[in-house]
Amino acid sequence: MSDLYELFASPFFGISLSVIAFWIGIRIQKKTGLVACNPLIIAIVLIVGVLLVFHIPYESYNVGGSLINLFLAPATACLAVSIYTRVELLKKNWLPILVGCAVGSVTSMGSVYGLCRLFRLDESITAALIPKSVTTPIAVSISGTHGGITSITVVAVILTGILGSILAPTLIRLFRVEDPMTAGLAIGACSHAVGTSKAIELGETEGAMSGLAIGMCGILTVVFSMLVM
Amino acid sequence: MKIIYQIAIIFSICWVSQVIEKLLPIDFPASVIGMILLFLLLSIGVLKIEHIREKSDFLLANMAFFFIPAGVSVINYFDVLKSSLLPLLAICVITTVVTFAATAYSIKLTLHLMRKKENKDV
Repeated sequence: MSDLYELFASPFFGISLSVIAFWIGIRIQKKTGLVACNPLIIAIVLIVGVLLVFHIPYESYNVGGSLINLFLAPATACLAVSIYTRVELLKKNWLPILVGCAVGSVTSMGSVYGLCRLFRLDESITAALIPKSVTTPIAVSISGTHGGITSITVVAVILTGILGSILAPTLIRLFRVEDPMTAGLAIGACSHAVGTSKAIELGETEGAMSGLAIGMCGILTVVFSMLVM
Repeated sequence: MKIIYQIAIIFSICWVSQVIEKLLPIDFPASVIGMILLFLLLSIGVLKIEHIREKSDFLLANMAFFFIPAGVSVINYFDVLKSSLLPLLAICVITTVVTFAATAYSIKLTLHLMRKKENKDV
């Protein structure tokens, strides 16, 4: 048996398990068509389940996991490509985009901080939650830099994204947002890439603007967090 | 070979960003430096989208997959999470609504002021 457990520490185990779990997640989302069935959340739940049931230590899984983790920085860098392809849109509407993203980022960070104080959450959780409205790679970097528990950041970011994409149509009606650019930016500012997938469904302008907001709010949140944290 | 070149380009940008992160006196995340660096290289025309298209499409399209290990590490923080699950959920819901409203209204106001100024100019 102990030989078998050594095999779990092979990088191939963690990678294969991750791919299979993610594949199942994608299948479930396609079948149900629900935003709440986020493939990433499903994959995380499945893997945590497998590790707990078979008493496989996290460290064994992470031998392969850390190799997948390696791709996070390059993937973040490539967000530049998605901004670059929309640079004309950015140039034309730079003022409303900048104002919206700045106000959105500050509001998000401020309201999270205020509520964390209200609920008396400790520092490592507060720092983990403050950047939760921006895209995961940037949120994780900010949280890590300021002593937050990064896995809680990941969970909060995804949760926020799912909430944003579910609530988006209701919020657009509730706050009477008629302009597609405004709607797209607001969705991107509060719920990053997961919200953007919903914004793309709403329309081309909404999608492009939401995508721009991901990058803008990401950078602005880094800057603001350096100033205050 | 094309993909290997593209991986080399993107990974070198990431490495240079880590160097810059170390040299900077402030805590600025390397991954975001990489993003800014790549944007600058594309803007000044040193790099063309074609040079990195396949690799960046691969990375962007599968972004969610790369977060699985980071998310799974939540297994090490179950006790922390259990004790603050409700506040955590409340925070996520409230701040999402508040952020949406603040962003939407600030843009509405900006567009309104811009239109007003335009009318004045005419």
